[in-house]
Amino acid sequence: MLIENYKVPSTIVEAAQLLRHGAATIVAGGTDLTPQTEAGVREFRATLVNIQRIEEMRGISVADGRYRIGGLTTVTEILESELLAADVPVLVEAADHFASPQIRNASTLAGNLCNASPAGDMCIPLLLLDARVELARWADGSVATRSVALDAFFTAPGKTVMQDDELLTAIEFAQPADGFTATFIKSGPRPALEIATVSMGVAGVLREGVLHNVRVAIGAVAPTPLRATATEAGLEGRLLDEKVIARAAESVRQEVSPIDDARASAWYRKHLSGVYISRALVRLQGVQGVSGHVAEN
Amino acid sequence: MSLKIEIKFMLNGRPVQVKVPPSMTTLSMLREKFDLTGAKLACGEGECGACTVKIDDRTINTCLMLAVDCDGRDIETIEGLGTVAGLEIMQQAFVDHGAVQCGYCMPGMIMQARYLVDQHSADKHKLTRADIARGLEGNICRCSGYTKVVDAVAAVVLEEASA
Amino acid sequence: MSAQSMSGNMNLVFEKTTVIGKRIAKPDAPDKATGRTIYINDMVLPRMLFGKILHTDRVHAKIISIDTRAAKALAGVHVVLTGADIPLLRFGTTRDNVPLKAGKVRCIRDEVAAVAAESEAIAAAAIGLIKVEYEDLPAVFSPSEALREGAPVVQEDHPDNRSLAYEFSHGDIAAAEAESDIILEHEFVLPYVTHCCMGPSCVIADFDTAGKLTLYSQTQYPYNFKMDLAPALGMHPGDIRVIQPPIGGAFGSKLDIYPFEPICALLARAAGRPVKLTFSREEEFINSPTRQPVEFKIRSGVKKDGSLTFRSVDCLLNNGAYTSWGPTTPIIQMRTFTGHFRVPVVEYKAQAVYTNNVYAGSFRGYGNVQATFVTATVMDMLAEEVGMDPIAFRLKNAQKSGEVTPQGSILDDCRLAECIEIAAQKTGFLPRHQSNTDNRGKPGRFKYGIGIATSIHNAGGAKIHKSDGCGTILKLDDYARATLITGASEIGQGIDAVLTQIVMEVLGIPMADVTIVNNDTALGPWDVGVHASRTTFVAGNSALRAAKTARKQILNAASKQSNVSAEELDLRQGHVVQADNGVAVIRLDKLLRQMHFAAEPELVMVTEYYEPPSELEDKNHVGNLSATWAHGAYVAEVKVDTETGEVQVLKITAVQDVGRVINQLGIEGQMEGGISVSLGYALSEELQLSEGKVLNPNFRDYKVFTAPETPEIELHFVESDCKDGPMGAKGIAELPAIIPAPAIANAVYNAIGIRFFAPPMTPEKVARALHGVARS
Repeated sequence: MLIENYKVPSTIVEAAQLLRHGAATIVAGGTDLTPQTEAGVREFRATLVNIQRIEEMRGISVADGRYRIGGLTTVTEILESELLAADVPVLVEAADHFASPQIRNASTLAGNLCNASPAGDMCIPLLLLDARVELARWADGSVATRSVALDAFFTAPGKTVMQDDELLTAIEFAQPADGFTATFIKSGPRPALEIATVSMGVAGVLREGVLHNVRVAIGAVAPTPLRATATEAGLEGRLLDEKVIARAAESVRQEVSPIDDARASAWYRKHLSGVYISRALVRLQGVQGVSGHVAEN
Repeated sequence: MSLKIEIKFMLNGRPVQVKVPPSMTTLSMLREKFDLTGAKLACGEGECGACTVKIDDRTINTCLMLAVDCDGRDIETIEGLGTVAGLEIMQQAFVDHGAVQCGYCMPGMIMQARYLVDQHSADKHKLTRADIARGLEGNICRCSGYTKVVDAVAAVVLEEASA
Repeated sequence: MSAQSMSGNMNLVFEKTTVIGKRIAKPDAPDKATGRTIYINDMVLPRMLFGKILHTDRVHAKIISIDTRAAKALAGVHVVLTGADIPLLRFGTTRDNVPLKAGKVRCIRDEVAAVAAESEAIAAAAIGLIKVEYEDLPAVFSPSEALREGAPVVQEDHPDNRSLAYEFSHGDIAAAEAESDIILEHEFVLPYVTHCCMGPSCVIADFDTAGKLTLYSQTQYPYNFKMDLAPALGMHPGDIRVIQPPIGGAFGSKLDIYPFEPICALLARAAGRPVKLTFSREEEFINSPTRQPVEFKIRSGVKKDGSLTFRSVDCLLNNGAYTSWGPTTPIIQMRTFTGHFRVPVVEYKAQAVYTNNVYAGSFRGYGNVQATFVTATVMDMLAEEVGMDPIAFRLKNAQKSGEVTPQGSILDDCRLAECIEIAAQKTGFLPRHQSNTDNRGKPGRFKYGIGIATSIHNAGGAKIHKSDGCGTILKLDDYARATLITGASEIGQGIDAVLTQIVMEVLGIPMADVTIVNNDTALGPWDVGVHASRTTFVAGNSALRAAKTARKQILNAASKQSNVSAEELDLRQGHVVQADNGVAVIRLDKLLRQMHFAAEPELVMVTEYYEPPSELEDKNHVGNLSATWAHGAYVAEVKVDTETGEVQVLKITAVQDVGRVINQLGIEGQMEGGISVSLGYALSEELQLSEGKVLNPNFRDYKVFTAPETPEIELHFVESDCKDGPMGAKGIAELPAIIPAPAIANAVYNAIGIRFFAPPMTPEKVARALHGVARS
């Protein structure tokens, strides 16, 4: 479709007002939009709304025990954030495995989440943090927001619960508790540029070798980024010994439902899921210097 | 008459203005409206880095960025880095170290290399070959095998860190 | 030049220096590094239109109808062509291809219509408006399926689907089998990979009012290209001028005519305006010729003392729907099966079979990539079976200078043993190999492996055409500036630098005063093409001879003036000097002007055509195909993650017989670049085809190596002054694209005890092998 209107709102209020008129194409960095429109798998709508100038959607801040990351925060800004490096390093770890420097410079968190890829690298650490997304829309003469838990945000590959008149303005999560430890694993021949064959995040509060509030999030093994809740339950409150770790690997292999595609087979994705959770748990265990070897030589 | 948007920005140190269709990419704008053909269309998907240009102090795959978003920004292309009469130090290093073969990927590679080193202005001396290679992970070269590219960047790091 | 020399002070003294073997920057590098170079992809001609092709979405189907009305009516569209609008003139290696398809489509590439319009966007929109009706036909994708009775027929002229076939035999196989103490039999499957030139395919066609064509092309073989293109256009080759702008890589993909080129010309002819046609990256992945996939069965014999007894090879080549150069790669494959190590008895059969797949062309290594993967792996296996270490076994079977292979390759200067010894010594190979083997069964996530592979390749051209020659025209102007016009093309490989150095060396003039012209068939003399690692050897020799002739003419003229004999004179730094003490006699430019404006004027204008001393094969595939041969021995060191199957290459040590290094930077760059391609072949690259369709036509899913994955590379050059090479140089650029892959496979075996017969050894394949889980 030909674009008939091009708008550049500078505030959330302006953007919300624009979106209430009907479906528009929202563009930020364009790193997912442009390949899709150029390939013809997605069409521009009649109105194009460039949200890059909405300053209030930028920034990483923490207040009252909660982090707020503006939707337009780029992956590079996450990577370079000293605040996050100190307090929530798993986000920085994931950012470091994301695409390439050029893509990181342009990709926004909102764009990455709205693209809803089953592999979405930045979704994984955010799921570990029980992140919530803030969605804004124009209603009854002002901006109304709603908060959606990230693990309820994705519905299918490329699809979320966001409505056409909504804007993803921020991502929020509670400051991690004392003892919170998390790790992110993704591999493949090229460290970062490839779309994940499998990516995994594991987190929890580690006390004396026992993980509490366990979170296991996995990308590219299901239609949407997956919270492996059964595996989490199997780890909750358990001492991380060899047997528990082996059971977790078996559990995660059962819990994922990957497809066969040109990148990898379902078997291999399951296999990697098992390998990664073992590695992740051993790594977390090693963090506190608790018994058990760190298997990486 | 299809929609055209007027934008104004700094291009290699000069103020410019141009009208572009909203769906035009920054890469197409640079190549077609300004004859700045250094940045190349090699994949159109942000996978190869041949279109890398610096925009507001960050390197960007211009094949993915809409031209309209260049409004008000500061853009530096390979043509703004140095000229044949006076090569910039990174460009000269690429020449001297034999990194350039067919050269198609080189404008993007050199822009990314320059950015990578500039990002570490405080601790340049700490940049290892592995760091340099990772900083170039978004730039594909099919001719050189990357060794001399890393050699060139490492030489610039050495020179600039000791300056 | 110093102020002194400008004033003609003849007390100047010039020392003898050389530019051979130095690190010389490529002359076009500054333009490329500043973005100034105009590649073909950047070119714009006045009034130029943009062409686009409608490729079919079927793999085998009758074309029932093509409706172009809506496309023709679209504003800005100038020409729409289908097979019905043009005479279907055949072209190609076996004349089985036509520019636009009529009647039926045979593979996913098939070009059913083409459009020329005022912009890329309009052309693309017009393509989208063309409606084609098909009737699907049963399709066939594997060579063995296509050979079966009743298989779908791909090309009507070949009802049995058999395309090119090759056979070679030397010696008595039955006797050799009887003599063997050990016989191994293995099957190998070598995959589809693609060149991934950073500059996508692009061509510009421009007809003049007399109907002559100027084609701006990425071709690597401009002169024979005219001959191959002409039939498709119903033209005389003499009426086609090929201009070669700078290109973004070729690697063998531009050594044949592909439909997009005649299509562009047909559009330009119909439009009466220049037309530029460019592929998108997706089009490039799907439509650019691939490397030839091959299925091998090989039986190899050896005596218990370690001497090879025979090789018996039978292979099937997936010809795809049309025949390009891929199915001719057995010519070079055979040289490896008969010449890679001393094998007294060899039998070789190859059959190319038509299928509804995409088709293969030339790709750096040209059949030797596949043949070496097989032979270098088998050598490793035989060594183990015989109970000899990998180095001793190879040395036992390495030829010596002077030996002639069963196909008549004369190994006049054979450095194979030397390369193996150096590689083993530099890497501490044997004890490490043993220790890794001992470690295999022990627990541990990471396993380390070291592997060696070797190969042989033509290094003095390859006489596969009536001439393997190259023409040179050299002139010097009144300012002692040299222009060297060569038939050889610069495709990024650095022949511009090498030829410049040769002129600099022989005529004693600086780099800035040498211009190489190599991009216009109207100006340049014939050359067969950039392939077969031949350019330094053949174009270099051609240039060298021309330069020497010019030098002789100059020194003779100087001698007459100065009463010093020509043998006692030299050319250094723009001056004629006395050879023994370097004292300047006369400035070169001054001498040239004197020669020019003398009573009997003399300009320095030299022509040279160099044909290497090689032979065409006879009908039994015997003959010394190349003027010389070169070997390499490479060692790969790997680290295997036994949990994920990832293979990390830690280091490649490459030892290669190069004759003489002319440009140190250039030769290193070529080797490092070739190694990168072979790393991809070994571990990550595969163009995945399913039912004739390409599943991964993008860089996201077709994985070429990037900087962080690149291992440490250590290069060692064995220099021996090849007697026929220019300055003693041999051709070098394909061996690095050939040898690393089997070295890596052998290293992986050393690490984990598993052999791979079908690269790439992706993490999934390695993991499956380690866990004993076959792919369904």
